[in-house]
Amino acid sequence: MAAIIEAENLTKVYGGKVKAVDHISFKVAEGEIFGFLGPNGAGKTTTIKMLNTLASITEGSATVAGHDVAKDPGAVRKSIGVVPQELTADDELTGTENMMLMARLHQVRGAAAKSNIGTLLGLVDLEDAAGRKVKTFSGGMRRRLQLVMGLLHEPKVLFLDEPTLGLDVQTRSRMWNYIKGLNRDKGLTVFMTTHYLDEADSLCDRIAIIDHGTIKVSGTPGELKATHGGDIITLTLADDKEDLTEFLSSIEGVKGVTRDGKVYTIKLPKTEKALPAIIAGVVQKEAEIAEITFSKPTLDQVFLDVVGRSMRDEESPQSDSVWENIRMERAR
Amino acid sequence: MFDETLALTFRALKKWVRNPASVLPGLFTAMFYLALFGSSFNPANLIPSSAGAAGSAILKASFGGAPTYITYLTSGVICIILVFNMAFGGIDLVLDRQLGYLNSLLTAPVPRAAIYLSGVFQNLVKVLILAVLTFVVALVLPSGLQLPGSFGVLEFIGVFAAFILLGLGLSFVFTALALTVRSIDSLVAIVNFITLPVMFMSNTFFPSSSFPSWLMSIASVNPVTKANEAARLLIVNGSLSSSQLATYGWDIAYLVVFASLLGVLGYLAARRALRPE
Repeated sequence: MAAIIEAENLTKVYGGKVKAVDHISFKVAEGEIFGFLGPNGAGKTTTIKMLNTLASITEGSATVAGHDVAKDPGAVRKSIGVVPQELTADDELTGTENMMLMARLHQVRGAAAKSNIGTLLGLVDLEDAAGRKVKTFSGGMRRRLQLVMGLLHEPKVLFLDEPTLGLDVQTRSRMWNYIKGLNRDKGLTVFMTTHYLDEADSLCDRIAIIDHGTIKVSGTPGELKATHGGDIITLTLADDKEDLTEFLSSIEGVKGVTRDGKVYTIKLPKTEKALPAIIAGVVQKEAEIAEITFSKPTLDQVFLDVVGRSMRDEESPQSDSVWENIRMERAR
Repeated sequence: MFDETLALTFRALKKWVRNPASVLPGLFTAMFYLALFGSSFNPANLIPSSAGAAGSAILKASFGGAPTYITYLTSGVICIILVFNMAFGGIDLVLDRQLGYLNSLLTAPVPRAAIYLSGVFQNLVKVLILAVLTFVVALVLPSGLQLPGSFGVLEFIGVFAAFILLGLGLSFVFTALALTVRSIDSLVAIVNFITLPVMFMSNTFFPSSSFPSWLMSIASVNPVTKANEAARLLIVNGSLSSSQLATYGWDIAYLVVFASLLGVLGYLAARRALRPE
């Protein structure tokens, strides 16, 4: 499919000194959900800001929906929807009023505006609450409203910055369904950042991990897990009389083995291929298997492998300023 | 651009009207100023009763013919309301930036001029509503604002034309300032530095003819002085003589130039503040 976002050597230097993004190139195909992951300060937000015209480009170029971001920012703004991390719907206005205002600012008027608002509120189950002031909404309802506020003008690309930040597990999973639905039903291309790796795994067709301003890896979650993570078999023997580390390492397809007493942790790209040989070998060695389990790799492993630290070790994306507290208050 | 400006202005005004905590303090402040300054600054308190009619005549002559001090002060209090509310009205815009609302406008196809002008107009409308209420409060206060018999709708429009032009100029500059600064602390520091001298170096409380010459020169170019002078001519005299009309005309022309100049400078500053980082 054709690329709807193309970045070529995209670079951002703040104040002539701080290189926030350093010559990154990537493409996002039309209709794709593309996840942009990275630790705090890695360059995620700066990249999004350049793509949605909030930040100027120091070097390189980018096009969104066929429009050059630097040369034709007005056309880019008409083609994109932006759902920021902050909850920006006005507390004193109702859900519908917030939607009407956003429609008007995107030149969607009259019957088209009314019909779009009705449909979108229905998509996120907010029809009944839409007449209430937003200050009475829960954090999840505000996020849902925010999501559809970015869609009133039927954009080609939706930028989602941490779409489920601060939400409970159940509400997060509902948000995922809404995003998947929009992508499937409207063919919407989604460019998202998230701190939740399970979210990226579940939602994204492809992801890129950025650190220190450069893209370290990109691919489908499956590809990245196969390359950087691999499956893990945990083999527990009945006793630890014999050390089978060397033997297990020699089996074709096994990438690494570590032993802790009678427990062996075996890393391999694909469990299904090597598992029969492992079991047969252990039986042949006359060792008794007490338990055998295997786990699929997670993006946490990939992230750890690429960035050198776990996403969980990262600080929360919020600072402790008063206004951040107001934002978090809204998120509850 | 017009439609976006209107939509954003209405958004701000809806929020303002729906939150009484943001409307009522402004009105109470106006009442408080009129009552407090009207009695404590009242120069009639300084004239001994033995001076009789001569004392009243001196006062009347010094205060441009105003029959009571509140008649003179009403325009000054309205200017205080204009200056302070315009200056601090920018806090809402700084909050819009800090809470991410401004970015959501900047990523939408909204003309930058509409973002700036909606900031200008929302403050202007809010403050003018307070100004009209202050005028009404002054009228109903005991020994308050006393209008001449010839004061009609046209004179009322003439008075508020001066306030609108002063307010517009102030709104142009303070809106641009609010879009430029990144924190409320910075805005408050700058605004405090500007507002008090602007108020005291004018004829807000007393005629500038009582000032030392250096202060009189500053006051004579202060747009607050011009707005007060124009408004007071109508408030005190109602129908104007041809020489009074000429003074009024020059004051209004001065305010038009003031507002236009700050409009251009404000727009340039706002455009700079709203460009991509």
